[in-house]
Amino acid sequence: MMVDRPAGTCPFGFASVTGHDATAGGPSLGRRRILLGLGAAGTALGIGAAKAAPTPVETAPVVDNDGTRDRQPFYGPRQSGVVTAQPAAALIVAFDVLGTARPDLQRLFKHLTKRIAFLMRGGPAATAAIGLPPPDSGLMGPDVYPDNITITVAVGASLFDERFGLAAEKPKHLVTMTRFPNDALVAEQCHGDLLLQICSNTAETNIHALRDILKSFPDLLALRWKMEGFLPPHTIKTLGKDTVRNMLGFKDGTANLDAHDETLMDRIVWTGEQHAEPAWAKNGTYQVVRLIRTLVERWDRTPLGEQQTIIGREKATGAPLGMVNERDTPDYASDPQGLRIPVDAHIRLANPRTPETDKNLILRRPFNYSRGMTNAGQLDMGLLFVSFQADLEAGFITVQRRLDGEPLEEYIKPVGGGYFFVMPGVEHEDSYLGQRLVEGSA
Amino acid sequence: MTRLVSIAHPRITALLLGSAAVVALIGGAVQAAAIEAGTMDPITITVSNTGCSPASVSVAPGKTVFKIKNDSQRRLEWEILKGVMVVEERENIAPGFVQTLTTTLDPGDYQMTCGLLSNPKGILKVAVSDAPIAPPSPMDLVGPIAQYKVYVTSEVTALVDKTRIFVAAIKAGNLEEAKAAYAPARLHYERIEPVAELFSDLDTAIDVREDDFEKKAADPAFTGFHRIEKAIFADGTTKGLDVLADKLMSDVLDLQKRVDGLVITPKAMVGGAAGLVEEVAATKISGEEDRYSRTDLWDFSANIDGAQKIVDLLRPLVEKQDPALDARVRENFAKVDAVLAKYKVGTTGFESYEKLTEQDRNGLKGPVTTLAEDLSTLRGTLGIN
Repeated sequence: MMVDRPAGTCPFGFASVTGHDATAGGPSLGRRRILLGLGAAGTALGIGAAKAAPTPVETAPVVDNDGTRDRQPFYGPRQSGVVTAQPAAALIVAFDVLGTARPDLQRLFKHLTKRIAFLMRGGPAATAAIGLPPPDSGLMGPDVYPDNITITVAVGASLFDERFGLAAEKPKHLVTMTRFPNDALVAEQCHGDLLLQICSNTAETNIHALRDILKSFPDLLALRWKMEGFLPPHTIKTLGKDTVRNMLGFKDGTANLDAHDETLMDRIVWTGEQHAEPAWAKNGTYQVVRLIRTLVERWDRTPLGEQQTIIGREKATGAPLGMVNERDTPDYASDPQGLRIPVDAHIRLANPRTPETDKNLILRRPFNYSRGMTNAGQLDMGLLFVSFQADLEAGFITVQRRLDGEPLEEYIKPVGGGYFFVMPGVEHEDSYLGQRLVEGSA
Repeated sequence: MTRLVSIAHPRITALLLGSAAVVALIGGAVQAAAIEAGTMDPITITVSNTGCSPASVSVAPGKTVFKIKNDSQRRLEWEILKGVMVVEERENIAPGFVQTLTTTLDPGDYQMTCGLLSNPKGILKVAVSDAPIAPPSPMDLVGPIAQYKVYVTSEVTALVDKTRIFVAAIKAGNLEEAKAAYAPARLHYERIEPVAELFSDLDTAIDVREDDFEKKAADPAFTGFHRIEKAIFADGTTKGLDVLADKLMSDVLDLQKRVDGLVITPKAMVGGAAGLVEEVAATKISGEEDRYSRTDLWDFSANIDGAQKIVDLLRPLVEKQDPALDARVRENFAKVDAVLAKYKVGTTGFESYEKLTEQDRNGLKGPVTTLAEDLSTLRGTLGIN
């Protein structure tokens, strides 16, 4: 069966709109009105299409500060999307690379560079003759606006297997993510040769980018898994003043590193001379992605006091237990027995704030997620965890080992993700992503 | 002009008898040609006793009008040659007379005869144009469509024969025979699936999957191949299947009857190639089509066969229009065939889909997805709206 719906019905329910146009003055007129309606920013499609009298909206599109023109830099020694402030929508997609030899990989990276440069810059959508399928999905209309998008490319350990002869170039710490005791990893949602982290102001912009890329590489990329994440837009606009809450209802990221602190980022996030990585890998970073389901029904049936001691913070204010303000620094030294903040509280295990654990710091860049539900009728939602660190072992892996067995485990279940290495950036237009990787070791 | 049409007409009419759509196509094409004729600057070739003047002509691709003036003392015959093949000719041009020849030539080097056979031949060059080549006329599709109809008809005949064997085994209570007859029967359905889908009621009755029902396999409306597949492969019985088997048989016979009277449109045929590959990409690679019998590879290869057949029939047209597209399509069909060949059993059979390695499944995704992309441009490339 090729058709999965009853014949004659429209898959998206637009049939009624068409019918309306027909009665209002013929399909072509109706269509024209819809286009006019779309041309005027802020005019709802429904209103434009449903108006009986053909009164075209003449007002020029209002250019306001809606963020659709916001643009992040593409060219530079390091990729955007790592220390870039988080927009509201994320789409993380892992692929299997289908090529079998180095030239395939080179073609992939070269063309991927072009597509990403275009999507991050914006411009007119590609067109073709009317008899051909349009090269652009049209999801953003004829003008592909940047919408603050970043597309960050990372590679997985499997890319360095025998296919492309790159084994010697594998970043030092890059391994296939292995199971931690509380994990319930689902094979179909783990690992991958290539990872794209697509972040922008809206889910539609991200999906447009993904579809553009899928259409560009039918022979080279096979989808492996994808995960969509979101953050409240109003919180993002005031980032730094308010902290986003995760699905547990707790502020998440209060103690996160300041991504604007370049010295700190150079030390904690970006690979540099001191990390003894392969030459091509300088100015990259290790990216950890973990799909962490939170068992929210159970959490919501847990007494507030217990929730707070599990996390180590006040739920309402985000202040460390026993303190007043969100930004107050917990003083674990004066509380060795964990009378105020239990020694196994999440924040205390994650960041014990000792000189020895300073090298375990990581830059977190997580999003919330919510997708379907489980067979048992429970919500499938949680954290699309992302972290960046120059040393995967000292960073995420060590932090996660400290968290193994924490009381929070009763409420969370990591089910997927993987370890990846974010490639260095593209410095100029004649270069491409991973150029030094695929050419340097040929 | 008139001459050209009168040559073409009987041949095409023979092919198209009984097909209303095709008659309409011819009408449209003739009209289009008539409108275009007379709008070009003719190229005058003067033939004398010793040769042509000019003796060398270059023209742009597309329609060209030649005026052949006989300045010699004898009746002559003027021909455009490609090697030994006569591409166009005008016979019996009397001394002092002029005849006109309108022709459309593909880019390349030609020769023209210039009076006496002993005279040196003239040179005719048709340049390669940068401009896109005009899509083939609907008339060019008449042949491929007629041949495709033959293919569809023979596949439906095979479907009826093989379904008869399948149904007989079920009704005889012979489980193993029924299992063995399942995939060989479906094979013929899957090859012509886009055509079968033109009859959505039958397509549903014959090939629906349980996923389409709210109550899944328990739904009483769930009939056809996959319903029987579940019974014989999962439940392991032929009991209680008589009614379902009889219904399948009558549905298949009904399909045959309807296909007999079917007018295959250019859109249905050309779009069918893309449709078959979409089918592979959407449900065959995932292995969800024959979930109980694991005979997905039979279906898979049948879909590919069906698409390949259409592409082969269209090849002369596609090659002219977009040689690079044709080359890519060939290459990707070959890649898919290479993976399928690894799992072949006998002449038409295949191993269980579970035998495919993860690497093989991934190896199929690339060429299948590329085929889907490329074949989606086929209609536009051939100018079929």
